[in-house]
Amino acid sequence: MVGPKGIRKAGIVALFLLPSAVPLAMFTIAPMVAAGWISLHSWNLQSPMRWIGLDNYTRLLGDADTRDALLHTLLFLALYLPLVYVCGLALAVAFNRRFPGRNLLRSMYFLPVVTSWVVVALTWKWLLNPANGLVNHLLGLAGIPGPGWWASPGWAIPSTVIASAWKDSGFVMVILLAGLQSIPEEYLEAARLDGASAWQSFWKVTFPLLTPSSYFVVMISLISGFQVFDQIYVMTGGGPAGASRPLVEEIYDLTFRYGDAGGASALSLLLFALILVVTVVQQRLQRRWVHYV
Amino acid sequence: MSLRLKIAVAGIALLATVTGCSKGSATKDSSESGVTTVHYLTFSAAPDHLKDLDDIRAAFEKANPDIKVQVQTAAYKDYFTQLQTSIAGGTAPDTFELDYQNFVTYAQAGSLADLAGPSAGDKTWQPSVLASSALDAFKHDGKQYALPESFSTVVLIYNKALFDAAGVAYPTPDWKWSDETAAAQKLTDKAKGVYGDFQPVTFNEFYKAVSQAGGSFLSGDGKKATFNSPQGVAAAKWLIGKPGATMPTLTEVGGTPDFDTNLFKSGKLAMWHNGNWQFDTLKDVPFGWDVVVEPGDAQRASAVFQNGVAVSARSAHKDAAFKWLSYLTTSEQSVNSRVSSAWELPPLADPAKLSGYLDIKPPANRQAVMDALGKQSLQPVVAKQQQMQDIVDKALTKAAAGEDLQKTLDDAAQQVTALLS
Amino acid sequence: MSRRLLIALLAAGALFMIFPFVWTVVTSITVGGDVLTTPRLIPERAGLDGYRKLFEFLPFWRIALNSLVLAVVSTALLLITSSTAAYAFARLEFPGKNVVFVGYLATLMIPMQVLVVPLFIEIRALDLVDTYASLIVPTIASAFGVFLLRQSVAVLPRELDEAAFVDGAGHIRIFLRIILPLIRPALATYGLFAFMSSWNAFLWPLVAIRSREFMTLPLGLSTLSGQYSNQWNAIMAGSVVSIVPMLVLYALAQKHIVQSVANAGLK
Repeated sequence: MVGPKGIRKAGIVALFLLPSAVPLAMFTIAPMVAAGWISLHSWNLQSPMRWIGLDNYTRLLGDADTRDALLHTLLFLALYLPLVYVCGLALAVAFNRRFPGRNLLRSMYFLPVVTSWVVVALTWKWLLNPANGLVNHLLGLAGIPGPGWWASPGWAIPSTVIASAWKDSGFVMVILLAGLQSIPEEYLEAARLDGASAWQSFWKVTFPLLTPSSYFVVMISLISGFQVFDQIYVMTGGGPAGASRPLVEEIYDLTFRYGDAGGASALSLLLFALILVVTVVQQRLQRRWVHYV
Repeated sequence: MSLRLKIAVAGIALLATVTGCSKGSATKDSSESGVTTVHYLTFSAAPDHLKDLDDIRAAFEKANPDIKVQVQTAAYKDYFTQLQTSIAGGTAPDTFELDYQNFVTYAQAGSLADLAGPSAGDKTWQPSVLASSALDAFKHDGKQYALPESFSTVVLIYNKALFDAAGVAYPTPDWKWSDETAAAQKLTDKAKGVYGDFQPVTFNEFYKAVSQAGGSFLSGDGKKATFNSPQGVAAAKWLIGKPGATMPTLTEVGGTPDFDTNLFKSGKLAMWHNGNWQFDTLKDVPFGWDVVVEPGDAQRASAVFQNGVAVSARSAHKDAAFKWLSYLTTSEQSVNSRVSSAWELPPLADPAKLSGYLDIKPPANRQAVMDALGKQSLQPVVAKQQQMQDIVDKALTKAAAGEDLQKTLDDAAQQVTALLS
Repeated sequence: MSRRLLIALLAAGALFMIFPFVWTVVTSITVGGDVLTTPRLIPERAGLDGYRKLFEFLPFWRIALNSLVLAVVSTALLLITSSTAAYAFARLEFPGKNVVFVGYLATLMIPMQVLVVPLFIEIRALDLVDTYASLIVPTIASAFGVFLLRQSVAVLPRELDEAAFVDGAGHIRIFLRIILPLIRPALATYGLFAFMSSWNAFLWPLVAIRSREFMTLPLGLSTLSGQYSNQWNAIMAGSVVSIVPMLVLYALAQKHIVQSVANAGLK
């Protein structure tokens, strides 16, 4: 690091960090700590809180509904993350070159990102309707019996994954495209001069230089994926019969419908711990695969 | 961006943040000038009846120049999130609406004010205007914690044209389940996409079906779930037997919002279990329709949904708040407004006052709405209401998907009994 | 892959992408406003009934303006707080930097559903309930932005900083004169996302606001759903109108996101 040392350095660090650190501490970390405090009580938001220590934690860790919710969330994440990344990457690479109509086409791929999720969910529910949806109709023409999609316990989560990845691929595309744009043309020139094929120069030059953006996409998708809620709720309502209910839906229900804000806070802290562990592991692994210039 | 521009934007942002600390109109407490502001939170007014509510409010303020009412609305699905958060933060509105199924939760939690005190001090309060059964519904532990504001009933709505075309006689008040099933089978023509019947497979239909079968959802003392009795099983069979046979499958229903409304309005549904809140939507359909009290089996029992209005236990203006609620529920102005705009019905002691409502056609047999009141299946309401409903809904969906009916009901009954302790 | 084929595939895919939006527009101009079982591209009866209802049921311009001002202020604040922190994490060394960064990320790991109640109590304690500030305050800083911008600063060669130091520049000047212009695409990208996030925010404004004059667009649109029925064409009309500013912003941001490759070469 260049520049001043000692007190002046501390001053500089503070200057650059405080504008974000102070609001985050006051308006996000403080409520998080408060949630931790609430998790040690039984509270229905209306009557006074009642101290119960770690009871919420022990109860939830043994609860079948919670375990199911965790499985649903993990399944969503395991399917969503690779799918949205690959789609976003393919789009970013495709749009990285100039061709007529590029800007217009690219905007069209971004449109789902800004379209309301209610509308997107309605569309996909129609497409994936087991009885008369377009997808099952086409599958039927190919002789494949279409699954029950959002109406079936086994296919409910995959249905929401498809819809979510479809909606978010434009977002990933924009991020990765920005990353691609920052790769100096010279490196690719050099590779081409050395006789590398398109495939080789992608894997040996482009992809490694894209890893900082990829790392961002993976991390953010993980952190937000663990907290998935709206995407599943609007499409399946957590159903059928709770077969696709994610953890955050349980957290919401506990807080606002079951009068158990203490349990909700405890569950969210357990979720927090899980996400934190995964994030720290990712951060450590960063050294292995992310190349900063 | 140039440095100057950046500083300008930052400055504006900061300025906005600082001036942004001034309070909104709903929170400014104007009790200094001798005028008390009463806040009222409602879900039933938006989006169709805001004007009606506003007229009532204006009339109230005219009659009570020292009280001002601030109305706040929220959509029903978000209402309780907002209400509970404001209670938790100590900023609960002075008065707010509650539907009957949530009443017990809030009363038990101590968030509602006992209305005995404020009502004693209000000279204009006339409890005799309201039906005593409605008033009793909003009592908890013997104390009046809310005033009944409106009620709606579930009836059987039927498409006369489809009945005529199939040569089936219209439903009568003496019909039993078997009559309904027989008619529905004759009226269903899947090739044409026409269905004979529609009844959701949910808690709200189930508890009343249990009564219709002669059973009871909970035991008399309210401590045990008894809906897995033979009558409960019969009721569940009645409900889950319809999808796929005389009703679209649950999958088709779940694919589009308002599926049943659209189906009926497009003339493809012969019988529809729904409430009198739909009458307004059906005003302009191109076919004749009418209503009748829902068929029972061992007995008739109809679902009645009620909304009440309560005063917050922590309100600083309980007397003024009560004055507003008593006006809202019992004044001539309010009653007339509700009846003429079909904004749910006030639960009046003298049904003659509602004759204006009964005279509006269609449907011709609006009297059925009142008759349904006579044989009511009282909604089971407990402190852990939402959990109970979710458990029952889940069990019914599983049974409809093919799981063993007795077993799912037994499991659900066990879980619900655990909630009641 | 041949260019023609690629463009054809992309175009076909693009049609698929815009289909829900087209459906929204079509439903918004359908009289009767029922959402049909099968989406139609041509409405049976067309009319501006949905839009009329939108303006009739809501003080539409007021709430749209609220959302707009809120989003602009929020985006400006987020760009400032995120870029400064990004510089600190990417360019400054200090003890415990990684731990602090994980601490920033931790603020993303608890869902809003849980934060809403304690945050509301805190806002109440600060006597900020039902004020404009209460809507802005949770959006002053975001670890998401810090992270995104950190990645884009981190890929810039350090030689630039070193050269500038040799010339006598301090961190502030390097940040403002060198780093910020170079990460313009990331700033534009993040500005777009920050705007979207504020524009669509629902849960926090729902609980923080009581007065109608502070209502934001998502809140206003939600009141179009009654307890038993929905005014679909009005809801869709609201969706359409809601999307328009974001599309405009996207078009504007495009210019900055797609920087010419010449700028990336730093000699």
